[in-house]
Parts: sequence; C-alpha cells; structure tokens
Amino acid sequence: MNIPSGLPSEPLLGMIVALGDDELVLGHRNSEWTGFAPILEEDIAFSNIAQDELGHSLAWFSLHEQLTGKTPDWMAFERNWRDFACCRLVAYPKGDFAYTVVRQFFFDAAEQVRMKSFAQSSFDPLRQLSVKILAEEAYHLMHSQGLVERLGDGTEESHRRMQAAAETAFPQSLGLFEDFPAEADLVKAGVVKPSRELQEEWLTEIMRVLTRATLVVPVRKKNGTFEPECSPDLGGRTGRHTDDLRQLVSDLQHVYQLAPGQPW
Amino acid sequence: MSDTQWETYEVFHQSRRGRPHEHVGSVHAPDPEMALQMARDQFARRLDCVSLWVVRSSDIAQTDYQDPNFFSQVFDKSYRDPKAFDAPARTEPAES
Amino acid sequence: MTEKSHNEQLTEFEARVARGDKVEPGDWMPDEYRQNLIRMIGQHAHSEIVGQLPEGKWIPYAPGFRRKLTLVAKVQDEAGHGQLLYRAAETLGKSREEMIDELLAGKAKYSNVFNYPTPTWADVGVIGWLVDTAAVINQSMLAQGSYGPYARAMKRICYEESFHIKQGYDAIVALAKGTPAQRAMAQDAIHRWWYPTLMMSGPPDKASPHTEKAMRWRIKTKTNDQVRQEFVDLIVPQIRALGLDVPDRDCVYDEAAGHYRFTQPDWEELKRVINGDGPMNKERLDVRRRSHEEGRWVREALAAKAKRANAA
Repeated sequence: MNIPSGLPSEPLLGMIVALGDDELVLGHRNSEWTGFAPILEEDIAFSNIAQDELGHSLAWFSLHEQLTGKTPDWMAFERNWRDFACCRLVAYPKGDFAYTVVRQFFFDAAEQVRMKSFAQSSFDPLRQLSVKILAEEAYHLMHSQGLVERLGDGTEESHRRMQAAAETAFPQSLGLFEDFPAEADLVKAGVVKPSRELQEEWLTEIMRVLTRATLVVPVRKKNGTFEPECSPDLGGRTGRHTDDLRQLVSDLQHVYQLAPGQPW
Repeated sequence: MSDTQWETYEVFHQSRRGRPHEHVGSVHAPDPEMALQMARDQFARRLDCVSLWVVRSSDIAQTDYQDPNFFSQVFDKSYRDPKAFDAPARTEPAES
Repeated sequence: MTEKSHNEQLTEFEARVARGDKVEPGDWMPDEYRQNLIRMIGQHAHSEIVGQLPEGKWIPYAPGFRRKLTLVAKVQDEAGHGQLLYRAAETLGKSREEMIDELLAGKAKYSNVFNYPTPTWADVGVIGWLVDTAAVINQSMLAQGSYGPYARAMKRICYEESFHIKQGYDAIVALAKGTPAQRAMAQDAIHRWWYPTLMMSGPPDKASPHTEKAMRWRIKTKTNDQVRQEFVDLIVPQIRALGLDVPDRDCVYDEAAGHYRFTQPDWEELKRVINGDGPMNKERLDVRRRSHEEGRWVREALAAKAKRANAA
C-alpha cells in the first residue's frame, strides 16, 4: 500500500505510530490489572479492555507495516523506547483503581472524538480503521464512564480518591491533544482535524460526565466552550518521555530481546 | 470489616435471533446496568451473542425439587399428546 | 405428605446418582456430600484465582503481540473460571464472601502447583501445556459428576482449557525449535514442573480414604491414580516428540500393561505444599490479600451507590 502522492507521508506515518504507541502502552498498563482488580467480574472486564487496546495497537502497526514493511512485533519489541511517540499520560504507573478508571475514561472519550473525526479523513485507511476501533471503544467508554459516575459519587473515600485521580490525570490527558509533528501539514491535506478542536469536543464530553460524578477539574467556560486552566503535560509526541516509559518498554521487550527477531 | 461481593444476577444469553434465551450462569454486580456489562465480559466474550438478560437472583421464584407432586402426571393424559393419534401425518404443520 | 426418614432420603439420593441423574440445588443431599462439594469446588475456585498469579507475572514481559494477547486472555479465563466455580459452590449455601475470606485467612487449600515459582518465560508454556493437560483430564471427569451446577461449570471450563493447552504447547514448540538457549529454557521448565504436575491429581489411592464414597456419589468418577496415569500416558509421547524429555529415567512404556511406568513423586512434599509450606505459598496469599484490601473501597462504593439508587 502506498500513501497517495498529495499527502505528507512522514507526518502521516508519525501519527500512525503515535496512535499505535498510545494503545500499546495503555493496553500494557491495563493488563497489569489482570489478576488484581477489585472483584473478579472487574478483573474479567479490565482484561477485555486490555486485550482490545493491544488489539488496536496491533491494527495501527499493521497499517504501518503495509506502508513501511516494518512488522508490528518489530515496532513494539525491537524499537528503542526513545522513538516511541505515545503521550505521557498512558505511560504513568497504574496507580490505584481510581487513577486507572479516570485515565481510562479520559482516554476512551478522546479516542471516541478522534476516531469520529477520522470519518472525514482524506486518507482512506484511517476512515476504515476508525470505524472498527469505534465499534469496540463505545463499550469501553460505557464501562469507564459508568465507573467514573458511580465511584465519583459513591462513598466519601471513593469520591476523595476519584477527585485526586481526576486532578492528576487531567493535565496529563491534555497530552492526548498535543500536536503531532508537522500536524499543520496533515490538517492542510485533510487527513486530520486540528488536535485543538478535538480537545474542545473532548472537554465538552468529559465535563458532562464529571459533573454527574461530582468531580471537579481546572477549567473555565468561555463563549460556551471549556478551556483548561492548568498547564498540559506535553512532550510524548516528540519523544520527551518520563522514565516510566523507559521502564515499561524495558519490561515489554525483556523476553523478546533474549533472542530478538526469533519466533517466540 | 466484612466484605461485600455485591448481589448476584442470573444471566440469560441469546446466541442468535430466533433462538430462546438460555441461562448460562450468574454474575456478582452492584446494579442491573453493571450486571449487563459484566455478563457481556464473562459470558459473551467468546460465544456469539445478540442479547443478554440479567435478573436479580433473589427475584427468581422457583419450584421445589423436593415436592414430588408439583409435576406429577399420575393418570392417563395421552388424549392431549399428538403421538397418541393415528391421523395422517399431513394434519400436522410442517416443521419449521 | 409424610416426612421421609433420613434413610429413605439417602436411598433415593443414591439411586438418583446411580441412575446418572444430576443433583440440583435445593435437592435433599447428605450433609457429607454437600460439605465435600463445597470444600472441593471452593478449593478448585481458589486454585483458579491463585493460579492467575504465576502466569500473570509474565504478562508485562510476554514476547510479541500474539503471546501477550493470548496470555492476557488466558489469565482472564482463570478469573472467569474462579467466578463460575465460586458461583457453583454458592448454590450449596456458602457465599463467595465467606470462601474468599477463608482463602485469605489461610484456612482453605488450593492446588499444589501454584505454589511453585515461575522464573522463566518457558514456565508459561509449560503451565499451559502440562499443568492444564493434567487439569483437563481431571475436569473432564468432574464434568461427568453428579452435582449439576459443578458439572455445568466444568463443561464450559474444559472448553476454555483446551485453548490453554494449545497456547501452552504452541509456546513450547516455538522454544523447542528456537535457539539453543530457548530450547534449554523449555527443557528446564519441563524438568521443574514434572513432579509438581504429577502431584496435582492428589495423593495415591491407597492414601486417599475418601475416594470410595466420592466415587459412589459420583463426586469423582476416576481415582487419583487413574487420572495421573492417563496424564502420563498422554503427555510423555508429546514431550518426547519435541525432542524434550521428562526427568525420570524409569519412565518407559510397559507393553504388557499398555501404560507408561513412572516414578512416584515425593508425597511428603505434596503434603507440605498443600498445607501452606511450599516455596511460594506465603507470597501468593500476601499478593491476594493486598489486592483484595486495595479493592475494598471500590466494592463498597459501588454497593453504596446502588443502595442509594434503590432507595430513591
């Protein structure tokens, strides 16, 4: 498969990798709950979500493979951690269940907004893949949103934990909307909508739920739209990661690197 | 402090339109909406499924296995069994 | 309707079981049958959720997308099996809360195998292949058992276990065909797991006093020694076909008997491990306790929220 000549190929490939990395790293974090969730039923639910996110990552890297020839396993298990382009949000340790749920909700809501925006993309494979991903993400959003609403307004302790998690995860989540490298070119070619616009839609979505959950994050309302009132945790899209990602990738690649490129 | 594993809900699963819902197990859940989500993850992650029902286990009324009379058919009831009649087969509707 | 005497009830019960009819919740059953089943199903459920840990340890490190996805799905199934089994035991009158409390208090037993460490990636493959093969032989037998809810749970579990075996076998095949180091890793794991897996089917029949009654009531339909022999006969040729071996020079096929001979495991070790003194017992329960306590606020908050919604 080739990238049509009118489209900026390097920024496009970079964005595909970034989206694959987001899903890979969050899927990895989610899978850390397998065996450790608060109740058996939730263990099963979170393991499903982990598999779905890892599956989405595989789908992004498979598209990338069609365009570049690099295999998904090479991308995930042989690439240097500094070349990952995930946002910082997904790499932070799993924390308590409150942090996990809030992060997942912020991510799911962002995924929803972004995948819907791809329906108008000038790059056909993005349109096709986003439809598939949306089909699974709708359920994730239902689940994480349901947990946010219930735990936000559950007991005193659950409210306190969820509020703390929201305060931590909110500025981190703004990193989901950090501009991709050369994003302006992608916007101009009609591949994506500007991240800034997506962030605005996302804020409207999450504020609706956070209000029901009695949770507060630093935003102000201006001309009917929300604006964050905190500094966003950026850097992931350009490879300025925290040490958490280095550690995570070192775990991820640990066995594979004993015999890199071998069938395992 | 004593633990809670929530209430139990019985789960009924329909594999295809036109088929009946069948009991496949139970989930522990805090409320019906979550019970549906948990039933999906536990009972429909491999099986084909088009519909799930959940119902609080405590809302189910059931017969008593130890009451031998509830289902007893002591006297001849063959008069209401199609197999007891010799009429030609075509009087029966075609099997669908 | 006159009240039946205990003996009449027992005669009816045993006749039902002998006919191959299932016993259902709410049926009259001997108290010993009920208690035995609660204990057995409870232990089985505990084994599943403790059994998530040795393999779950490797989820972050699994090599390659496919192995990682498969391992998450496999360990997820173990939570699913625990869920099904606790529910089957609940139908006999003991709540999941009580059973989990007993496990965490160290008062309940569970399968010996999950108290051994998993130091290498090959352990994941060997657990799937060897341990789950042994488990399925036992569980297919239990699926024929007399208690309806347990037998039904077993049917579904056996289906999923066949996925577990295949993925384990597949992982070991990859290692067996791989670099010398990969191959050595597989062989080492088979050596370490061989005897613990043989012990899984329980003590030898001559030291297992409850077998007779368990067979009569169709709680079990095969003895421990029968299950163990079936496992050895099935697995030894599979292992050797990959050019790997079992750590038992006396393990040879006996033409006359139609079975493999094998050296009995150290039954004292089984006793120790089952009674809490295996290499990993303490750590396994510590981990379970910690995650149980860390999840408590979630269980309570969701219960409280639902209670308020119901009251409104």
